Amino acid sequence: MPESIQVSKTENLATSRVARFSLIGFLMSLPPVLVLLCFVGAPILIAFAFSLGHTGGLNQIISLVGQEIYTKDAWWGTFDAYNSVFQDARFGPDLRTTLTVTIFATVVVTVMALGMGIYQRIHGGKLATIIVSLSLVPLFVPVVIAAFAIRTFYDGNGFLKAVLYQFGIDFPTLTMTANAITIGTIWTSLPFAILMVSSGLQSIPDALIESAQDAGASFFRIVRTIMIPLAFVPIVIAVTFTAIGIMGSFTVPYFLGANQPTMLGVEIAMFFGPYNRPQQSVVMAFVIFVAASLIAVAYVWANVRSAKQSGRI
Amino acid sequence: MKERKTSKLFAVLAVAGLIVAGTTPVSSADTIKIRLYVAADTNVKDLWEKALLPEFYKAYPDYNVELTFDRNGQNDAQTLAKVIASKVTRKDPGMDVIDGAMTVQLGGAGMLWRGTAGLMPNLANVPRVLLKNGKGGIPYRASMVLLAYNSKNVKTPPKTLAEILAWAKANPGKFTYNAPSGGGSGYSFVQTVIDSYLTQQEIDILVTAPNKALQAKWEKGFQTLRDLNKVTYGQNGTYPINNAATLDLLAKGLVDMGPVWSDQIASALKAGTMPKDIKTTTITKPSLTGGPAFLGIPSNSPNRNGARILVNWVLSPVAQNIIVAGAMNGLPVIPSNLLSEEISATVSGLDIKTLRPPYISSNISDLRTAWASQVPGK
Repeated sequence: MPESIQVSKTENLATSRVARFSLIGFLMSLPPVLVLLCFVGAPILIAFAFSLGHTGGLNQIISLVGQEIYTKDAWWGTFDAYNSVFQDARFGPDLRTTLTVTIFATVVVTVMALGMGIYQRIHGGKLATIIVSLSLVPLFVPVVIAAFAIRTFYDGNGFLKAVLYQFGIDFPTLTMTANAITIGTIWTSLPFAILMVSSGLQSIPDALIESAQDAGASFFRIVRTIMIPLAFVPIVIAVTFTAIGIMGSFTVPYFLGANQPTMLGVEIAMFFGPYNRPQQSVVMAFVIFVAASLIAVAYVWANVRSAKQSGRI
Repeated sequence: MKERKTSKLFAVLAVAGLIVAGTTPVSSADTIKIRLYVAADTNVKDLWEKALLPEFYKAYPDYNVELTFDRNGQNDAQTLAKVIASKVTRKDPGMDVIDGAMTVQLGGAGMLWRGTAGLMPNLANVPRVLLKNGKGGIPYRASMVLLAYNSKNVKTPPKTLAEILAWAKANPGKFTYNAPSGGGSGYSFVQTVIDSYLTQQEIDILVTAPNKALQAKWEKGFQTLRDLNKVTYGQNGTYPINNAATLDLLAKGLVDMGPVWSDQIASALKAGTMPKDIKTTTITKPSLTGGPAFLGIPSNSPNRNGARILVNWVLSPVAQNIIVAGAMNGLPVIPSNLLSEEISATVSGLDIKTLRPPYISSNISDLRTAWASQVPGK
């Protein structure tokens, strides 16, 4: 009997201790959560209400200043602002440009980052290390400087055109096209993807790769069945962060793209500022928000999958 | 323990010091503070800080101007909301004099104090029509859009809008104007093309009041602009993003002709960033637009007297001389015979009353968005 009492006592102590720690942990995580709720969550809700035509209260001033403001006609609001954006001739091409650039640039960035990471992991050596560290340089160049440099490089009398002209080749001017946006976004997104993917590949144990080589597995088989699955989560993180970053980019498409169609990031700024149509710009922001959320689902799914595999949940 | 005590003491002293410093003005105990808010490009900030204010202090040593600068008016929407909200909530707007594009909107909303000639004697020299258009905004300098051309390649510059269009078509890829959303020089060209299909009466309405019905008549102008897509720089319906990008294309010799702001091209020529071959001219039928920049005194400013004295001084011949002859290269808002002799000679041919004004701001926003959806890439 006394023994069992002692057991139950320890159990109680342990539980209360865990509870106390979890309370401290909760309190420690509170400040960032509160900051997010106050300075990100609340403005998003207010903006969402504005997009539905709730023009009173905190949206009163912006409704006074803006043009073409749609006011709600039912208790929940109205979709008039959404309709006006979806029927605008610019929205379709803009969305298409945004998605095309995002998908294409993300694929290229992922393939390039994988190539660099796999080369460094399998081949290794001084050269690989130098190449990887060189590829991180754009991380330290401000985007606006990079965009301006790229514009100068591909411009009507830029370096590329000038050099090819010497050989009698009339290379097309790339600036003011979606191609230039794609080049610019790849340039600015590549370093982070390489950092993420190569560190993921580095953590794969040598023994796994070597034993596969001993068993006669081809290079592509090792990449496909060992390296990519084991570095799956960092690769998914790199892909999702790259895609979300490109989707909302402003500076690169503003400097390098055509006036129309352009990417939604630029169009939002145009509608908010020069066109003075804040409600429509908020609507477009929510379209990007939804598209980015879909990408974020992939990120969450990958994390849950890896947590399940390692037995955390 | 002892160490902790002394550090505590220091902390208390530091806090006390901060409080003392915060409550008593440091140097200007007996000067009156005027809060000036400048939302414009850096050349306007320099105009105030380096040229106008030092002279103002000589005339009015009792005043001290505190300048807040917002580059290119990027926060105009928020500032506008702040001033309007301050009126609604009966609070201090936080600024006594505003220099920026938003003064037009504030004037239209009735938020600006309308000076009288009794309180501001120098207003008498300013054209009445400009004061009327300002609705409380007080014009203090002007600039206009000129046609810049490369004199090496263009021997006889166009004299009318029709001649510009003909030249552009005869010289594919050598003419351009910037997107209206990015700057006033390209905007001016777009409005000028559109105005060429409107009657003077219709233009006057668009200049003074929002009017959706009349905007339907912009279509002819847009058709002319769409026809230019194949002949402007790039030849694919793309346009430079802002004023500076047009100047850049001119300076590099990529285009031979384009509309530019009078003050920006004059500054660039003086600074040597623009080759000497680039010359400017004015056109007619119709002329490119231009107009004054307005100062505004919020009607709920707690220091309207100080604001009034500063604005009145800016309209004096002394200050107008600085605006015309200095790095700003502006146009005066007072008759040129009031300026000093050698300065008045440089601007004698220009009458700012005859400058064709741009539309009212809500029509400008509508024109920018309509251009973007109807012209580029079509």
